Amino acid sequence: MIKYTLKRVGMAVLTLLIITFLLFVLVRIVPGNPFPSERMSAEQIANKRAEMGLDDPIMTQFFRYLGNALHGDFGKGTSLYYGAPISTVLSTAISNSFRIGGLAVLWGSLVGLVLGITAALHRGKFLDGFCTVVSILGVCVPSYVFLIFLQYTFAFKIPFFPYFFDSSRFLFSSVIPSLSLSLFTTSTIARFTRNEMVEVFDSDYVRLAEAKGMYGRGLVMKHVLRNALIPIVTVLAPLIVDLLTGALVVEKIYGINGIGKLMVDAIAGEGIDYNYVLALGILYSALYIGIMLLVDLLYGVLDPRIRVSSGKKEA
Amino acid sequence: MKKFVALLLTAALILSVVSFASAEGNVLGVMLGTNVMSLDTNLATDGDSFEVIADCIDGLMQMDKDGAAVPAIAESYDLSEDGLTYTFHLRDAKWNNGAAVTANDFVFAWRRIAKEAGEYAYMLDEIGNIKGAAEIISGKTDDLTTLAVSAPDEKTLVVELTVPVSFFPSLMYFATFYPINEEFYNSLADGMYGTSPETFLSNGAFILESYTPGTANLTLKKNPDYWDADRVKLDGITYQVVGSSDNALTAFRNKTLDVVMISGNQVDAAKKDASLAENLKVTGAGYLWYLSFSQTEKNAQGGMLANANLRLAISNAIDRDNLVDNYVMDGSLATYTAVPPQFAASSTTGEDFSADQGAFADYVGYNPEKAAEYFEAAKAELGKDSFSFTMIYGNNEGDEVQKVAQAIKEDVEAALPGVEINLQSMTKTERVDKMQNDNYDIALTRWGPDYADPMTYLGMWITNNSNNYGFWSNAEYDQLIADCTTGAYITDYDARWAAMFKAEEIVMKEAVIAPLYTKANANLITAGVEGIDFHPVALNRVYKDTTK
Amino acid sequence: MEKGYIPSKEDFTLLQRQDLYTDTNFASQSYWKSVAMHFFKNRRAVIGLVIILLIILFAAIGPSMNEFGYRDIVQYRNENNKRVVAKGIAPQIPALHKLFTGEELEGNFSQYTFLFGTDDLGRDLWTRTWYGARVSLLIAFVTIIIDMIIGMSYGLVSGYFGGLTDNVMQRFVEIANSVPRLVIVSVLAIFMPKGMGLVIVALLLTEWIGMSKIARAEMLKIKEQEYVLASRTLGAGHGHIIFRQILPNTIGPIITQVMFSIPTAIFTEAFLSFVGVGIALPQCSVGTLIEDGFNNITTLPYQILPPIIVLALLMLGFNFIGDGLREALAPKLEDM
Repeated sequence: MIKYTLKRVGMAVLTLLIITFLLFVLVRIVPGNPFPSERMSAEQIANKRAEMGLDDPIMTQFFRYLGNALHGDFGKGTSLYYGAPISTVLSTAISNSFRIGGLAVLWGSLVGLVLGITAALHRGKFLDGFCTVVSILGVCVPSYVFLIFLQYTFAFKIPFFPYFFDSSRFLFSSVIPSLSLSLFTTSTIARFTRNEMVEVFDSDYVRLAEAKGMYGRGLVMKHVLRNALIPIVTVLAPLIVDLLTGALVVEKIYGINGIGKLMVDAIAGEGIDYNYVLALGILYSALYIGIMLLVDLLYGVLDPRIRVSSGKKEA
Repeated sequence: MKKFVALLLTAALILSVVSFASAEGNVLGVMLGTNVMSLDTNLATDGDSFEVIADCIDGLMQMDKDGAAVPAIAESYDLSEDGLTYTFHLRDAKWNNGAAVTANDFVFAWRRIAKEAGEYAYMLDEIGNIKGAAEIISGKTDDLTTLAVSAPDEKTLVVELTVPVSFFPSLMYFATFYPINEEFYNSLADGMYGTSPETFLSNGAFILESYTPGTANLTLKKNPDYWDADRVKLDGITYQVVGSSDNALTAFRNKTLDVVMISGNQVDAAKKDASLAENLKVTGAGYLWYLSFSQTEKNAQGGMLANANLRLAISNAIDRDNLVDNYVMDGSLATYTAVPPQFAASSTTGEDFSADQGAFADYVGYNPEKAAEYFEAAKAELGKDSFSFTMIYGNNEGDEVQKVAQAIKEDVEAALPGVEINLQSMTKTERVDKMQNDNYDIALTRWGPDYADPMTYLGMWITNNSNNYGFWSNAEYDQLIADCTTGAYITDYDARWAAMFKAEEIVMKEAVIAPLYTKANANLITAGVEGIDFHPVALNRVYKDTTK
Repeated sequence: MEKGYIPSKEDFTLLQRQDLYTDTNFASQSYWKSVAMHFFKNRRAVIGLVIILLIILFAAIGPSMNEFGYRDIVQYRNENNKRVVAKGIAPQIPALHKLFTGEELEGNFSQYTFLFGTDDLGRDLWTRTWYGARVSLLIAFVTIIIDMIIGMSYGLVSGYFGGLTDNVMQRFVEIANSVPRLVIVSVLAIFMPKGMGLVIVALLLTEWIGMSKIARAEMLKIKEQEYVLASRTLGAGHGHIIFRQILPNTIGPIITQVMFSIPTAIFTEAFLSFVGVGIALPQCSVGTLIEDGFNNITTLPYQILPPIIVLALLMLGFNFIGDGLREALAPKLEDM
């Protein structure tokens, strides 16, 4: 198990390094100046470039960047809030995004589980069909569509929730964004839970437990749920990805100062902010690789069959 | 499970009892179109940042509601006979950490601007003509003491110029020239200045209450220690970044914000809505959108655009009213002069330089027949019947730009059969890059004023000026401008004003540019809010006299 | 004791002739026919198919159904030589209006029928919606087909050769897979101008991975089959084996994957255009239409409805079809 873990972690770190290098090179190749220079003279521009070490060889620049990054210094933005160190801006943004994302996962998992269990317990009846339709909609309707709908109804037509994100009342104004983000989570978990539970319900060992006299909630909790959780772990990775991308639009619409909004501003604004794209690119990749690593390891823990095999995953 | 759900619902209900914040009481809710870039005067380049900085910091001078310079930190000033030395006498004022505002604060701040040589450093040398600035900015010397700004004592600031600058006092209300407390600045870690209320000092009307870089919401509260505190009636200001015009309208409607800017369809809706129409106020933003023609031989099929008649033809083919009414739709004004209207007023007569938009009706307007005439003349002179030009424009400067480009293409091709315009969109940085390197035929571009004087526009078109993107050259024009900036007219205000008119006429006669429209903002302001000063230049909005 | 009853011929009558279903009937039924049969029995899958076909139909002919182009601004010049533009007109059908109220519709543009209304600039929404659907569908189809080709080839080759080749190729896939689509888009945005090109390249770079995984998995399953061994013995080249023999047997799952990739592509395009990185004016796609609608949602609430409904239907439809296909194909594979 240890060997497996070490191997996976090593691969993950290596992958991240390679990606960082690629991103770095790509970002530096671009012509132009990573600072606003419309009103600067050619001399001023040349001086600034020398000051920032922009004309050094690429490898030197890369190692310098890497060294700094490991200390948490990602440099400064080139057109977004330049002057403010990226790490400062990022830390607030990360905290916001993670809190809302976390809420979304929480909502989503709870509601998804409830929906899935309900559907499974009442399978074949109306409730099952209803839950299924709801979960299908959730997979198909993009989160921002849901957000628009929520915002329009519950913040405009019925002026109940705040129309914009208000950091002074965090919980209250995060209801709409986290709800809309949770849609995909809810639906996916509901579908999986239902399918897995139905499958497990019909399996032999549950029959045995029933025969032994267990029934109702105890049965559900103890045997069925645990085994149904395994495939949910599989779905975790695309879930997080969806959250990350969905967050982009949600944050932009709702005015939340999170990493999604930073990303949008960095690429869709008046000029592309290369340092932010680089820092955010590394962040997103690290997140994604980290989640996949976690899923891999969780799989190993949850399903002994994988641990036992040589660890070679089927593609 | 069920119990848990019930718990959640109850929690939601409890939360719901708490009503959401709006700009209540005596706090003004103001909309920002984009995030504030930076609160550091060295790094900020956008109007929003300057506005917030100016809310919190006073410079030597400040703007009165007409845009003229009136004393702020400087109680008074003396000007030497030769017009080259200004001596400012500072009043008593404090930073909000208790330290006094001294002349050294200005010396430190200006030296820093020169040393960092950022985007706005040119205000010190090219515009302000401060002695010693050019050398430091271009890197020729590192000795900051060569900047001719000194503080003989705590309350006196002496500035030496290389040439007289008649509007120098007005330059002093630009954020670039604001003071920074040296001791405070040096006590902070590198790059941390202006990133939070703890790393920022105010000596102005308001104190920074909450702010993080990139935040969509920042708040200010009234500064009780402001030297003019009695004048400030608001308790605070809440700034909120709003992304779309529709959101802005909604925020206004549900009273979250008091001052918003709307555009497009929302302007129409506001006009039609009786309860909103009276809150609508259009204010000039000073930006002039225009077409720049490259007149060099390497472009435009071998310099076709060097022919004035061709340029005049194009200029007269464009229906500017249509542009502003149906594409831009935010109160912007169709413009037929090289210097935009609602921007610079004569300080002697008070009259807007470009009040008469029909002044050059012979050379520019929506006149397809005239355009055709000019076109015939051009065809004869050039010996060609058909032309094909590429027009570049930015794809990240707002939606209206793309629509305007499209409309211009349609207008020109309809009025001048034989002319083909190919649209090419790119990022603003690329567009500027192409223009600076003379790599284009026609460009849809804009220029924002740096100071409230027509020279900020007219100065662009002298030979070899880095912003003369057409590479046009006219000796008479150069002479007129030289007279205004360094020659005979610098001390004669009215003669200078008249000379600038003559210069503008040359620009229009030769259609060096085709002015399109001047950006203006359609604002919605809550009834009862009075005293907001709107300015097209320097500081967009000033709230020192605002009451709610 | 009586003698036992001895049956005679008259006691027996022949039963009605019955058709006996023998196994051979099933076996000779073509693979695809049974898949189709399975598919059409699935009610949801059929609904999905109908929806998609309808949308494709309208996307093809919708914009030509009236006299407006997708960029035309409905306007005219009045007596004062000022332009009057048909901005923000809610859906109107003069004929129906007359029918229900008995009066003529009023307004500057009352002679036109705007089924979906006009947008904030005065353009007909019906035309734009279907034109946008056309653009979105085209992008989706084109990229997915290309991805299918690339991904399939990659996965098949990787699985076929195995060993070191497979290892290397899979490492590469792993790295490529570790970069979130978002990061790829932003890096592309640095080099490419925003627009259709960016969206297409972004999709190309990310969707092939899924295809290749499926192709490889299928390849691994089939590789050891006897007929492959037979071909090899007979001297068939690798290319022939991979593309002529094995590929046709993997089409099923690949098509399913395609059906799931298309909504991802459509959604990605819509989402990218919405945040401003995708299609730019004057082109219109479902994404830009939703953005336009969103920017006017409180003043012209009807504007956002058509594109959002089209988007939701597209995604639903393809998902249903994909589900149906997967179920239709699954049992057959096990039989094999």
